Amino acid sequence: MATLALPGTETTAVTPVDRPERRGGKGSRSGKAGPVTYTLLTLTALVSIFPLYWTVVAGSHTNAELAGSPPPFLPSASLFDNFKLALEQAPIGKAILNSIIVAGSITVGTVLFCTLAGFAFAKLQFRGKGLLLALVIGTMMVPTQLSVIPLFMMIADLQWVNQLQAVILPTLVSAFGVFFMRQFLISALPNELLEAGRVDGASTFRIFWSIVVPVARPAMAVLAMLTFLTAWNEFFWPIIALTTANPTVQVALAGLGSGYVPQQSVIMAGTLLGTLPVLIVFTILGKQIVGGIMQGAVKG
Amino acid sequence: MATVSFQQASRIYPKADRPAVDALDLDIADGEFLVLVGPSGCGKSTSLRMLAGLEEVDSGSVLIGDRDVTDSPPKQRDIAMVFQNYALYPHMTVGENMGFALKLAGVKKTEIAGRVAEAAKILDLSDYLDRRPKALSGGQRQRVAMGRAIVRSPQVFLMDEPLSNLDAKLRVQTRTQISALQRRLGTTTVYVTHDQVEAMTMGDRVAVLKDGVLQQVDTPGALYDRPANVFVAGFIGSPAMNLVTGDAVDGGVRIAGAVLPVPRAQLTRAAASNGKVTVGFRPEALHLVGRGEGVPVEVNVVEQLGADAYLYTTLAGGDDDVMHTSDVVVRTEPRSAPAAGQQLWLDVREGDLHVFDAATQQRVS
Repeated sequence: MATLALPGTETTAVTPVDRPERRGGKGSRSGKAGPVTYTLLTLTALVSIFPLYWTVVAGSHTNAELAGSPPPFLPSASLFDNFKLALEQAPIGKAILNSIIVAGSITVGTVLFCTLAGFAFAKLQFRGKGLLLALVIGTMMVPTQLSVIPLFMMIADLQWVNQLQAVILPTLVSAFGVFFMRQFLISALPNELLEAGRVDGASTFRIFWSIVVPVARPAMAVLAMLTFLTAWNEFFWPIIALTTANPTVQVALAGLGSGYVPQQSVIMAGTLLGTLPVLIVFTILGKQIVGGIMQGAVKG
Repeated sequence: MATVSFQQASRIYPKADRPAVDALDLDIADGEFLVLVGPSGCGKSTSLRMLAGLEEVDSGSVLIGDRDVTDSPPKQRDIAMVFQNYALYPHMTVGENMGFALKLAGVKKTEIAGRVAEAAKILDLSDYLDRRPKALSGGQRQRVAMGRAIVRSPQVFLMDEPLSNLDAKLRVQTRTQISALQRRLGTTTVYVTHDQVEAMTMGDRVAVLKDGVLQQVDTPGALYDRPANVFVAGFIGSPAMNLVTGDAVDGGVRIAGAVLPVPRAQLTRAAASNGKVTVGFRPEALHLVGRGEGVPVEVNVVEQLGADAYLYTTLAGGDDDVMHTSDVVVRTEPRSAPAAGQQLWLDVREGDLHVFDAATQQRVS
């Protein structure tokens, strides 16, 4: 009946009266999230936090206490004793410093070089652009394990074994980062903005610095966070290139609590020490990351 | 301030089968406001970008003053450009946006501040200098884009459809402001638009382009009164000129059974190739005549605009091969406008008939 009614007839006039009722109804979308959503979110949060919480609990007891039944569920004051033990058994302080240097350098390098390359691939015109981009993306398909032996031979030739540059230099730029920045800049950076820069008299590098970087900041923050985490957690290449005499956090942790019976609590305390810097970085960059993701959503 | 000259300038995009701009010859006088107008894809924006240095010139040359800038980068051309979407730097304040070019040129901070403040005053932006573009309305953003151009005091202003993102009312208002500003500054300006009303109202001269080829360049009045070909005739003017093709007969052109008189010399030239002639007459050039005395039409729609009324009619009657579906628009007095469905007879006021060769589409009258 409603489909046959002409505009202005009674049937169409009823519709607006109906609407407010529907808006105020139980199935409203504009209102707050319901109890089901909150329960699901709470559960997800608890599951995500639990490993960290267990690290704190396990790191603050002895092996014997952990083996008891039921196992302890609350942290105790011996956490600091275990920290002390961990620091005595492995050069964790030095490892954290090394990891900060390594992950920090890799992050700065990756963000800078990937933004530069991403900008070139997204907005500059040059011969062989498509082929070069395909090559860059192609390197993502080569497994790390394949390059380990030639890489080790190279750093051995350079006498860089057990030196930090051996783990920094090979990862100063990543194909994923280049692709990520390219994709972001293609959509987020209008060509007219670059042309306005050129008309205003800026060189290509000045355009990059004064126009591209500010626009790309949210994506750069996301890339920085991802790169820092990856570099911090990297284990395979550092354990080959470095020794426990000059380790990164992951290399140092590998040598921790070893013995006839592994000391779980010391390992956990060491792990906690090694995780704290990452947690701090995440807290600082968190807002930027959310900002970046939000910006992408609006642009899309 | 400077003259601008395109000399046989062409741009061919890679893999394109025809040039986007084809051997453009155009001289723009010092201080002139020249409008490039045409339908989309006609090459008007490409021409402007060639002048800006944002587009390569494949052949020919572009001169600003007596300098050949064909191969110079934009920054060496001393030009300022206003983009269609304004292209304001989103992370800079209004003041920083306007002063960016001066900062790059190494101008002292105090001088930049002075020139930005002066431009902001002209454009009524003084209260917004510390705001970011996203906190401004469309009209304000447009003015910031203008401000960014004028603080530099360049030799040439280039404007690429700067009003197309504004609403109708603001567009008319800003149109007059830009014209007034240009006259006050006296800077040579090249302005691109697809809107022929904008072109006619703003330009000292208007250049009409189609498919990359310059069709005609003249003052708005001359374009309206003496269009060089059928395309210009149909493009300039709103509503458009009525264009009808008919057979050349003794004494004139036969349209829907009636004969519109055309001088013999013109008729011979126009019908030389295929015996057909295209005639054009503007809606205001038509007047009603008695039954059976002129071209018969049937009124389909009557548009009342207050000051005028437009009759949208269809040619009626006649047994020739003229397209009987041709629409003819007639301007009449609004108070005494005929009703839809009525049959009328029309005649063209003397001297207001434009005659074109039906084959070459060129003007012969």
